[in-house]
Amino acid sequence: MSKNSIKIFPGAIVCEEAKLRGDITVGSGTIIHPCATIVAEAGPIIIGEQCLIEEQAKIVHRLPLDQQNKENTPVLIIGSHNVFEVGCTVEALKIGNNNVFEAKCFVGNKVTVTNGCTFGTGCVVTDEQILKENVSIFGAKCHMRESLDKPAPQTLQMETLVKLLPNYHHIRKPNCKH
Amino acid sequence: MELENIYYNKHEYVETASGNKVCRQTVLCGSQNIILQGKVIIQADAIIRGDLANVKTGRYCIISKEAVLRPPYKKFSKGVAFFPLSIGDNVFIGEKTLINAAQIGSYVHIGKNCVIGRRCILRDCCVIEDNSVLAPETVVPPFSRYGGSPAAKPAK
Amino acid sequence: MSYITGPEVVSYACTCGLIKPLPKLYFCRHCSQIRCSFCVCSEVDSIFCGKCSENIPSAEATMKKNRCANCLICPSCQQELSTRIASKGPANPTDAKSPIKKTYYLSCYFCRWNSRDVGIPDQPSATGGWPQRDNVHSHRLQDVVDSYKQIMLSQKHKKEHDKKKKIGKFVSYTDRTGVTASALRKKIGIPDTPHALLKKPKMPEPAVASNDVDELPEHLITTPLNLMDITTVEQRLLQPESQPLTVDKLFPVRKQLSIKKSLRCRCCERNVSKPEFNPSSVKFKIQLFAYFHIPEVRIVSLSPLVEGVPSELILKFTNPTQHQTTITLLNLDLAEQENYVKELTVSEVAECLEHSLSLQSKQPGSLTSISVGSGSQPSSLLSLTPRQPSITVKPRKIEQHVNCDVEMPEGAFVLPPRDDAAEYDESSDVHNVEHDPKHVVWRKSNKAFIKLLVVPNANLQANQDVVCGFSMEHIYTNILVATMENKQPQKSHHRVRIFFNLGKITRE
Repeated sequence: MSKNSIKIFPGAIVCEEAKLRGDITVGSGTIIHPCATIVAEAGPIIIGEQCLIEEQAKIVHRLPLDQQNKENTPVLIIGSHNVFEVGCTVEALKIGNNNVFEAKCFVGNKVTVTNGCTFGTGCVVTDEQILKENVSIFGAKCHMRESLDKPAPQTLQMETLVKLLPNYHHIRKPNCKH
Repeated sequence: MELENIYYNKHEYVETASGNKVCRQTVLCGSQNIILQGKVIIQADAIIRGDLANVKTGRYCIISKEAVLRPPYKKFSKGVAFFPLSIGDNVFIGEKTLINAAQIGSYVHIGKNCVIGRRCILRDCCVIEDNSVLAPETVVPPFSRYGGSPAAKPAK
Repeated sequence: MSYITGPEVVSYACTCGLIKPLPKLYFCRHCSQIRCSFCVCSEVDSIFCGKCSENIPSAEATMKKNRCANCLICPSCQQELSTRIASKGPANPTDAKSPIKKTYYLSCYFCRWNSRDVGIPDQPSATGGWPQRDNVHSHRLQDVVDSYKQIMLSQKHKKEHDKKKKIGKFVSYTDRTGVTASALRKKIGIPDTPHALLKKPKMPEPAVASNDVDELPEHLITTPLNLMDITTVEQRLLQPESQPLTVDKLFPVRKQLSIKKSLRCRCCERNVSKPEFNPSSVKFKIQLFAYFHIPEVRIVSLSPLVEGVPSELILKFTNPTQHQTTITLLNLDLAEQENYVKELTVSEVAECLEHSLSLQSKQPGSLTSISVGSGSQPSSLLSLTPRQPSITVKPRKIEQHVNCDVEMPEGAFVLPPRDDAAEYDESSDVHNVEHDPKHVVWRKSNKAFIKLLVVPNANLQANQDVVCGFSMEHIYTNILVATMENKQPQKSHHRVRIFFNLGKITRE
């Protein structure tokens, strides 16, 4: 149905073993670990720069049931400097910058994520809401807390990974020139 | 309680000289850095990231399906270094569990769907119950039973 | 592993009447009886901090109210806090070459709380130095506690003083003449200072209840509530002294210490379990768990249960000791246990009545009260009774209803001793046992499978749990007694009642 069209900007490291399906654009500096799943079923996914997507993370663009068969295909936009840790499932349609999605969290598709939010380990957020900036959600009951500033960027880790991953994995070649 | 024999399909598993049984469907990145001491069972769809740092397992461990063993990283002022992950003997790791710990002792039982935070240290003979989340850098003392999210010692 | 995760299917009955699975029971070698955590005394062996893994002497622990001096807990999620470095610019703003000043702040990884949220300034040193919240009521509390301590001391001194007085042989001057010491002092001219013991401790001013309550501030009703600013009840109660209402007043709390305890049999007052002093070590100095002395029984398979129809139950018996045992299965005799319990209570009451009667006969004038249980005994009777433990546990009736019959196999079967080297020795599958009774289905070194027929009662309903049980008698070889008296280890028959929860009846 939808052919695989994956545009990878230079500087991005996308491992061969990651499962990418659909129309996906990967910004420069982004690192996608093996065994990550990105499925653009209902529309294209645009991933910003300097994002980190770890293994078993699932970014799925799935339309909610009431919006199918519409003419315009919505786009899942992910900003820059986001971190998607192991095992997280993200379906939110709009994600800002500098967010952290910790291990095994679940974010439904009615949630709009702004900048600087932290989704703690194992949190399940499905209600329709627009999150405030710099908010941390943690704990089994998803307590919410407001932090003073955004979470620390993972640039140091990304630099190490950029050097480490090509030694052990096959990397997809970037095909976009900008 | 019942003694069950779980039979596995021989064709799906590769058996090494020291008795390790590794399923063919596992994802072992950097397998030269992974050391399995002997008689270790790694079930299907497990992911061991040996490419980040050394992963060392003791004897008689069981790593269930879809578990992820990932060495933790430590931030220094000059950069990030991935620390080796060492697991003791007789450790049971349940299904779909993420292990980001720095060190796991011997005789540890970790339930399924757990998340062991970054740089945690689990001492010998502790039990982590199903679906529990351990905050990063927690030290679990021996003979303790942690559960819940965030993990705390449940009352006896 | 099934003991960690699975349901409690096989339970043993302790000598006190409680029913527990085998890993939770202990075995006292001197009394040759099973003990459980209820009929065992626990004492604190060592106190340590879970995070620093350091032992802390008990005196220091009580002073610090059982909290670690170095480790802190996040007030919002109760996880451990870690110190992080926040390096500022050079120490001396004018000189760019001086070493960078490092300041530390506390941060929680789980909920992203850090000490800067509350306003605590960054500390220059990595360990310690974190300001503690002053308890507003601490002075008042301290005053009240001090005055009560003084009352206690004075009462204690008075008691001692009275005791000493009674021993004195001579009648005191005051009793003879009626002149008190203070009157004498006044006569002679020495300043009259009352005796230290007679001084009444000063009580602090009693708290005055006031009827004035502050007016309800208007902003509680007018301003909208921001849920993220308000603390939860758990966060508040973690710090009972201050109980902050808003999140920006939550201070970090010191981490609680954990203990290692050693267990002692109540009858013979000997240790049943004693862990090592080192907090990270899992070994035991004395380890008398029932798992290593009593044969373990596990269910291997069970054919579906239908009421009134016999089902096949296969059990696995394992011999954990280094000596051979012979196991005999006997009928569960709950009536015998009930009678035993009744006899004990009757005999106890009889003993107490005897004591009180004899007390009355010896001291006709004094008033005595009948005390049930091990009460105080006069010195003349103490020599007659043997060394009595401090608290005795009275056995209770086993509260487990059995609704299934077990057909007992005839004859006993032998379990060879546990051989640790058998794992590496490939040729050790030799079965030395001849004349195996026919209910033994399979054998391997120290294990045996036994087939039994189980008949659930005919009047059971579909969703009732089927429970069956039997009494297992095994020969226990006691090595301890051997070393003291004779060279031969002493063999004793030891009986234990075992209950099985077989699940529910399946519908036809």
